[in-house]
Order: sequence, then structure tokens, then C-alpha cells
Amino acid sequence: MRADAADRVEPATNKYLIAVLAWAIPGAGHLLLGRRQKGVTFLITLTLMFAAGLWLEGRIFPLGFDLTQPLVGLAAIADLGIGIPYFVAKFMGHGAGQVTAITYEYGNAFAIVAGLLNMLVVLDAWDIAEGRK
Amino acid sequence: MTSHVALMALFSLFVSVVFATLMRDEPRDQALFGLRLFGGFMAAGIVIGWLLYPLPL
Repeated sequence: MRADAADRVEPATNKYLIAVLAWAIPGAGHLLLGRRQKGVTFLITLTLMFAAGLWLEGRIFPLGFDLTQPLVGLAAIADLGIGIPYFVAKFMGHGAGQVTAITYEYGNAFAIVAGLLNMLVVLDAWDIAEGRK
Repeated sequence: MTSHVALMALFSLFVSVVFATLMRDEPRDQALFGLRLFGGFMAAGIVIGWLLYPLPL
């Protein structure tokens, strides 16, 4: 029996799975899509950048939107963009943030930008999975 | 490490590598684009630093 267009099941869930994995582990989406060089580069670079943020005494901003401090909420969303490393660092007790440290703001910038860059990487993986790239 | 320039260079390096990898497919193109980005970040940082130098911050 021939399957017509309505019967064909597109691997739509794969796109979502790839997006979730790409968020959770930097570079995992590209690795799953066969872009090994890009995946490994993202994995190493973004993980190192986030770790550098912690090393520079940056803070992992807490989730939970406090209307009196909207920038903290936005920073938390950006931090969360890095995926599992966010939770691993929290679990290991890193990212308390030493406000008096001279590198505190640098550390925040490294961790926040690592999360934001990983969001871009997720979008790139999504485009590849969609066949746009 | 507390040197502003060294931290700026490290930050620029990370961002350049990610953008170059995202925007170019061939390793040679990635390397060239990454180097240009890195140079641009460093030059812009130094130029803006000097422009801000006279300001009373």
C-alpha cells in the first residue's frame, strides 16, 4: 500500500529533541546533526567561557522573577542559556558571586554571554535540522 | 588574572571563535573570519578606551 503525503510522518520530534539537547549540552545539537567540528568547538568554547565566568567570581543569578530587580531576572535567563552546566555549577556550590572581587563584573559578563551564545547555537542547530542550512 | 586587557582578549577570543564557527562552514574561512573578528574586537576596545580616557568617570 502506498503512503500518501498525509500518512508520512515527518521526524518533527527530532527537531525539538535536537533543540533541547543543543540547549542542555553546548554543541550536542551539531554533533547529533553530523557537524562534528562545529559541535566540538561549541562544546569546548562555551563550556570554558562559562567556567571562566565562575573562575572570575561571577554570580549565577537565581531564577524567579523579582519585579524590583528585573535585570537580575534577565541575567538569570541568560545564564540558564548554557544548559546543564548552569545546574552542575549550582549543585557544586559555584557561582555565589564575590561582589567585592575585582573581576566580579567580568565573571558575570563571561557567564551571561556564554548562555546567550549557546542560545544562538541552539537556533543554528534548529535551522540545520529544518534543512535551512 | 585581573588585567583588563587580558580579560578583554580572553572574552574576544571566546566570542570570535563561536561567531566564526557559527557563520562560516570551512575551517579556513572560520580561522580567517575569527581572526578578523578578534582583531576588530581588540581594536574597538582600545579605541573606545582612549576615547573615554578624558571623561571624568
